[in-house]
Amino acid sequence: MATYQEFIQQNEDRDGVRFSWNLWPSSRLEATRLVVPVSCLFTPLKERPDLPPVQYEPVLCSRANCKAVLNPLCQVDFRAKIWACNFCFQRNPFPPSYAGISEVNQPAELMPQFSTIEYIVQRGPPAPLIFLYVVDTCLEEEDLQALKESLQMSLSLLPPNALVGLITFGRMVQVHELSCEGIAKSYVFRGTKELSSKQIQEMLGLTKPAAPGQQGRPMAPQDAAPSCRFLQPVHRVDMNLTDLLGELQRDPWPVPQGKRPLRSTGVALSVAVGLLEGTFPNTGARVMLFIGGPPTQGPGMVVGDELKTPIRSWHDIQKDNARHLKKATKYYEALANRSAVNGHSIDIYACALDQTGLLEMKCLSNLTGGHIVMGDSFNTSLFKQTFQRVFSKDFNGDFRMAFGGVLEVKTSRELKVCGAIGPCVSLNSKGSCVSENEMGTGGTNQWKVCSLNPSTTLGIYFEVVNQHNAPVPQGGRGAIQFVTQYQHSNTQRRIRVTTIARNWADAQSQIQHIESSFDQEAAAVLMARLGVFRAESEEGPDVLRWLDRQLIRLCQKFGQFNKDDPTSFKLSESLSLYPQFMFHLRRSPFLQVFNNSPDESSYYRHHFVRQDLTQSLIMIQPILYSYSFYGPPEPVLLDSSSILPDRILLMDTFFQLVIYHGETIAQWRKAGYQEMAEYENFKQLLQAPLDDAQEILQTRFPMPRYIDTEHGGSQARFLLSKVNPSQTHNNLYAWGQETGAPILTDDVSLQVFMDHLKKLAVSSST
Amino acid sequence: MMESNTEDKYVKPGNQDRGWNDPPQFSYGLQMARGPQRNLLNRRPTPSAATVVGPPPMMPPSTIPLTPPKNDVGPPPLCPARPPGCVVAPPPSSGPVTCQSDNVSSQSESEADVEDVLSVFNKALSACRPSVSGQVCNDVAKRLRLLEESWRAGRLSLPVQRRMKSLALELQSGHWDSADEMHRSLMVDYVTEVSQWMVGVKRLIAETRKLSPELLESLRTSEDQAPAGPEPDESPAEPEPNQNPGEPDQNLAGPDQNPDPES
Repeated sequence: MATYQEFIQQNEDRDGVRFSWNLWPSSRLEATRLVVPVSCLFTPLKERPDLPPVQYEPVLCSRANCKAVLNPLCQVDFRAKIWACNFCFQRNPFPPSYAGISEVNQPAELMPQFSTIEYIVQRGPPAPLIFLYVVDTCLEEEDLQALKESLQMSLSLLPPNALVGLITFGRMVQVHELSCEGIAKSYVFRGTKELSSKQIQEMLGLTKPAAPGQQGRPMAPQDAAPSCRFLQPVHRVDMNLTDLLGELQRDPWPVPQGKRPLRSTGVALSVAVGLLEGTFPNTGARVMLFIGGPPTQGPGMVVGDELKTPIRSWHDIQKDNARHLKKATKYYEALANRSAVNGHSIDIYACALDQTGLLEMKCLSNLTGGHIVMGDSFNTSLFKQTFQRVFSKDFNGDFRMAFGGVLEVKTSRELKVCGAIGPCVSLNSKGSCVSENEMGTGGTNQWKVCSLNPSTTLGIYFEVVNQHNAPVPQGGRGAIQFVTQYQHSNTQRRIRVTTIARNWADAQSQIQHIESSFDQEAAAVLMARLGVFRAESEEGPDVLRWLDRQLIRLCQKFGQFNKDDPTSFKLSESLSLYPQFMFHLRRSPFLQVFNNSPDESSYYRHHFVRQDLTQSLIMIQPILYSYSFYGPPEPVLLDSSSILPDRILLMDTFFQLVIYHGETIAQWRKAGYQEMAEYENFKQLLQAPLDDAQEILQTRFPMPRYIDTEHGGSQARFLLSKVNPSQTHNNLYAWGQETGAPILTDDVSLQVFMDHLKKLAVSSST
Repeated sequence: MMESNTEDKYVKPGNQDRGWNDPPQFSYGLQMARGPQRNLLNRRPTPSAATVVGPPPMMPPSTIPLTPPKNDVGPPPLCPARPPGCVVAPPPSSGPVTCQSDNVSSQSESEADVEDVLSVFNKALSACRPSVSGQVCNDVAKRLRLLEESWRAGRLSLPVQRRMKSLALELQSGHWDSADEMHRSLMVDYVTEVSQWMVGVKRLIAETRKLSPELLESLRTSEDQAPAGPEPDESPAEPEPNQNPGEPDQNLAGPDQNPDPES
């Protein structure tokens, strides 16, 4: 392996895993001194077109509390047909079907290139995909029309055998019976009354009345499938459902002047969750909630219907003045947990200009792996295309969505699992490899991820077990196995197994090796996830202080400097970008709530803790590309000095794409040079960033906002607020040199930040 | 497969009235045609050593020449008169993308005829009648009438009419997947125009696909004078369930077979 960079890239491509450290410190104390925990970003279903699944069961270690899967790291005695588990050292005989194996005839799972392998296994009858639409009808006419059309369109994207259901709500909640006959029937629930799952199932007639001994028990999926009138295969009901959707009307209850419409989102969701609980427990299902405003009545209400009382702001929350916040949050958390237990995920598509209560409802998606999409209106390309992409397909023509995932992490004895951060819930499986020390969702080595796609990524945190006086012996390797069981979108049950190993290193004699094994990109994202996880429960300033402290400690540990001489401070290449990432992270909407509503903060954080490394890093430190006559497009520093008159800039923040035309370019454009044949090259220059932006737009989920602006344009603020303000009104002397664009801000620049960092890092008093 | 013509591949602006900075909208054909990403824009410049250690950069990095038009804006550099040694940003080999929506002229001029299209559908429906429930057939018939009404009333745009014609041809030639794909593209790109009746066409595709070959014959009989199907060499009738004799199953061999180390 030539460089660590290549090693890291190869591991990500093959196993979907990026570790903060690629050599592991041999004792707990040394690990603590490295500041950034031994941790990884893991993408369980990373797309691997080159990895055909095998069609047999994985071979498990026979030790009851181990059950690790046979993998390339296991020692195999081909003559005796015995393999030794690399996690617990148990010696296991191979099953009879492996009688023919030999050194030259090995099953795939023993080959080094199959450190990640996927098994198709037989587990019960195949379950259809289930989509339950829960639709707010308190929308403006234009929005409702657009939403109806999107829903009708989605019926064409669903596989014909998928089951669909429809619940609509406004002041009342209606569960629609779907049938092939022409008569539309629905069950109506009051939007103000909290109902138990059992009550809901009884009212919908889902409980079998005469099943002695089984009273109240939900039906098994097999017999429920034909009998559930509310969830029917698309190919049977698409015509009627299309009509039903087409005929949907806005909520008929009059909304008096000065009032909000009464929206029973809480009850609608509880009916949806109860319906699925009763009919398809432990089967992949997706509740898709479409809302155009906040819940205003009944359980889960976020704001009252009086328009003169605005929905809670950060200010209200800080002043403890958000009346419904705690109660509503608790209500939705309970629903989210019930849903997660059954493997059902909940998406929220919120399209409105004001807040819709995502802060209170976010747990519905965060705990169940559902999507949150936030837009201004259902009649926008942002919503329509994002919604289409939920149903996007992979190279095999299968949906890029999987259900009912269970991720189990096994470690060799020198390691324990502290926790995970991502769209998951704990399964409270307290095996021997679970640490007391929790980071993220801890106390378990198994998590449920109700819905996942190829980019879903979890941060997983570990600790080293060995004490300082009994470190892990040199020369050995630690191992981790990730076992992901899930329901593939083609209804197969599958198990993907990834087994990795890293060398142990003595942190005293080999600190430079450890340092060069540092993956600063992964580390930045993993630390950022810890920060965001804290920010969801703690005060913002505390989180920033915590991050700062970690950064200073890291610089103290790895920087080269003379005591008390900041100018002597140096960081090696493997850490050179890390302070910069932290600088931008501190300014990001994931930690700063200023200028964002509580809903927006929830939205940004939702996406941050589930995307893969590349996307997460774009969110932390946006990418900036510069287009000019002087050469091909090139990445430039996210810095005000990059804003030059004769450049076009393309900035990607994940949530926004900004194309910014420098002053001269803008004037040329205004003068219309691009129309003249002799300035064809200018036309091409203008076109280049547009084409590149389109590439990003075509793949990004959710669709970003798209901003085309220029020097002096009001929307240039999107760029100006993200770049490092290296030139501000405070250091005007740089003006006149055409070195960039001064930013009107009192924020500290990267330079000032670095100066402080160096001072603190080299100080003998800290 | 679907005919790849530029009419199906376009970008139109987002709805700025309703959505603040709404992104452009990509047609279904364009989304599907997307190959691997050309150039991933995910690189970052390594910060000059200065940012991390050392004094702040007062001057722009030396690699960037000063801007040519100094004060009053001169024109951009002329095409032929490129500064020597400088490469003009290579015009990104744009894919088959047109940026105007509904670019009409590119398509063959032949007007799609409502009679032709509907006769295919109606024939397909008659072929289905013996095996498909009356209710479903009536529902489909109802939607075909809606289609006809919309078309005759001039409520269908030209691109929709043309794609419907192609869809009918595909159906007639037994290219179910292709017909289904066209129905999907119409639902995605023109949902407002087609949502009411398209579901009937969709069902018709699904039902005819299930028919036995004899019943299908009636579909093809009359208009046999070669309706310029896009790929006449494609095997017409049976929806073969992916039986490539040459190619073994995608999946790896079991443990007791000899797995192919190449795969």
